[in-house]
Amino acid sequence: MNPFISIMLLSTLVLSTMIVTISSHWLFAWIGLEMNMMAIIPIMMKKPTPRATEASTKYFLTQATASALLMLAIIINLMYSSQWTIMKLFNPTASILMTMALAIKLGLAPFHFWVPEVTQGIPLTTGLILLTWQKLAPISILYQISPSINLHLMITMSFLSILIGGWGGLNQTQLRKIMAYSSIAHMGWMTTILLYNPSLTMLNLLIYIIMTFTMFTLLAQNSTTTTLLLSQTWNTMPIMTTFTMLTLLSMGGLPPLTGFMPKWMIIQELTKNESLLLPTLMAITALLNLYFYMRLAYSTALTLFPSTNNMKMKWQFYPTKQMTLLPTAIVLSTMLLPLTPMFFILL
Amino acid sequence: MLKFIIPTIMLMPLTWLSKNNFIWVNTTTHSLLISFTSLLLLNQFNDNSLNYSLTFFSDSLSAPLLMLTMWLLPLTLMASQSHLTKEPLTRKKLYITMLITLQTLLIMTFTATELIMFYITFESTLIPTLIIITRWGNQPERLNAGLYFLFYTLMGSLPLLVALTYLQNTLGSLNFLLLQYWAQPLPISWSNTLMWLAYMMAFLVKMPLYGLHLWLPKAHVEAPIAGSMVLAAVLLKLGGYGMLRITSILSPMTEHMAHPFLVLSLWGMIMTSSICLRQTDLKSLIAYSSVSHMALVITAALIQTPWSYMGATALMIAHGLTSSMLFCLANSNYERTHSRTMILARGLQIFLPLMTTWWLLACLANLALPPTINLIGELLVITSTFSWSNLTIILMAMNILITALYSLYMLITTQRGKHSHHINNLTPSFTREHTLMALHIIPLLLLSLNPKIILGFLY
Repeated sequence: MNPFISIMLLSTLVLSTMIVTISSHWLFAWIGLEMNMMAIIPIMMKKPTPRATEASTKYFLTQATASALLMLAIIINLMYSSQWTIMKLFNPTASILMTMALAIKLGLAPFHFWVPEVTQGIPLTTGLILLTWQKLAPISILYQISPSINLHLMITMSFLSILIGGWGGLNQTQLRKIMAYSSIAHMGWMTTILLYNPSLTMLNLLIYIIMTFTMFTLLAQNSTTTTLLLSQTWNTMPIMTTFTMLTLLSMGGLPPLTGFMPKWMIIQELTKNESLLLPTLMAITALLNLYFYMRLAYSTALTLFPSTNNMKMKWQFYPTKQMTLLPTAIVLSTMLLPLTPMFFILL
Repeated sequence: MLKFIIPTIMLMPLTWLSKNNFIWVNTTTHSLLISFTSLLLLNQFNDNSLNYSLTFFSDSLSAPLLMLTMWLLPLTLMASQSHLTKEPLTRKKLYITMLITLQTLLIMTFTATELIMFYITFESTLIPTLIIITRWGNQPERLNAGLYFLFYTLMGSLPLLVALTYLQNTLGSLNFLLLQYWAQPLPISWSNTLMWLAYMMAFLVKMPLYGLHLWLPKAHVEAPIAGSMVLAAVLLKLGGYGMLRITSILSPMTEHMAHPFLVLSLWGMIMTSSICLRQTDLKSLIAYSSVSHMALVITAALIQTPWSYMGATALMIAHGLTSSMLFCLANSNYERTHSRTMILARGLQIFLPLMTTWWLLACLANLALPPTINLIGELLVITSTFSWSNLTIILMAMNILITALYSLYMLITTQRGKHSHHINNLTPSFTREHTLMALHIIPLLLLSLNPKIILGFLY
């Protein structure tokens, strides 16, 4: 893409999220979300293949619907509170509508259907932006309206997300769809704790972004988009197999890796609030996620996947792709557990 | 406790920076030296524990288990030398690193004071074990074995995390030393039933209990020798250790809740021993025998009498050494014939007579011959279960009989009788293998002179 256009779009993307996070007027936040959507659509169409067009169209339709619902909720809130400040909502209808609108934007179940299809149609780095950066704006609004969100709606949606994120990813071989289902499940964990302790939502979001960034960067090194291609990384970059396996195990939430930290903190917070069955069910459902991560870890690092003899003898060139922040990201996504107390000071 | 943990962690730079010919020598020697330092833990108080710091402590229950763990690392390194000869150097070092990581995590698990620290290191031992089984196992079934191992253990232990966090919120601290004095009796109710299950399932799956034991034959059979040794000798004992610790805060619920699990373990002990009589696969036989011995430990831990706790501890140590030795012997067979089928390598006494001595001693220890500590453990457990219910003596007697049967069956099939024709050109035993067996059996025999050390904290 023309570098000028690219810079303009990326800066609009960053600017729009900043507008959403710093605004105190509902209209301004809505404008930020619209700008966000508008900016990312051309980025998704970098290579104008029919698949990318389909993905962009689906993204546009769902996000536009969500923005319309959001506007409706804002107006109802205006009707009942006569002010436009972003704070807790004053009407249960407005609260439910806004929660659902933001759930559509985030990709929480039962509004998750667009996430795998959109993620699959776009290149890896754009998928990274979609699954990490695009979550910041809706979660910041959710954080601000969290005192008024309906508990039942939220818990239902988040538990359903964890279930669907786990189950949906089981039948996938395309890595982008796997990351999409992983995103749905992690969003479920994040929104569960929103009504009890929103700082933990932020912690989970931070750790999730680090881990997803690591995963996507590792995948982009070899431009692998399917499990089959992933199984051939041992040939070109053997050390990447170890890192991919460790990051996958971390995303599955296994101690002593970082991914265990948000799950542990969320379980602790939920038990402090006297709900014991919910965290148990959530933790057990997260094992579904772990299953397909394990499958990927197997095909990458632990076994020699069946492949033709041609593919076993690749040339090992010096890597020319830029590994932006990859070593930092890998260390952060695997070794951060002993630093858990630090995050309570940060947040 | 850092005097054990830091040297063990430093074994990793030792592996990676040693000269090529010296990796095995260096790591084995240094891990042997580190294991000698663990003998310092024998200086236990009778009525208290050695509290080294806020995070680590050791008492008469964890000290023998710790010594077992640390003794086992040089043995696993010695046992792995032969099957890794053909691997490139980096992979050898990776394998040793996995063993060392596992060792560090096990030391931290056995000495953890805070129960969440125990939980985290308990779960963390899964990852190196999984990598050892899946990466270095020999058959395609190892993939399934790794998944079964991981998921069975995780399904059991995730409720434990929730239960431990709940306990922290109600009691205020999960420091084990404080917990012993602060614990309130757990009244009998439906929700407390679920709580009891949440605490115990993790350890019951790890032990394993008879109905949840499916992962064990798979994992033991498919793992390479070091994996099998460390699984059988130490990882199973993690479950036993956890149960012995956690039952102290769960009374009087345990008397009410333990009945189904007692039935399962008593029945399972006989079932798995009987299955051993029909096994063709040598490693599978030893794996099922592990389930059978551990069922005794579960029974002992659930009855909660002083003698049963002593028996459980003694049985854990004894079984650790015996089972590990049996796996080493099976591996020496495997390395020669590349098959685990028992009848393919029979009549070995003619060809490898000195190995027969080790086979004999291991099988005799397995069937709990006096005066080994296996017998002391089993006898204490049998007497205490008899006091719990008179009828169990029938089951226990049957178990002893069937254990003796399959141990002798294993001995006679592999050593005695007419040899098979294709094994005339077996390589003779290496000194390394003899050293390995000797280092297993000598502690076992010496402990029968002073079993007081391994009788746990209710002695």
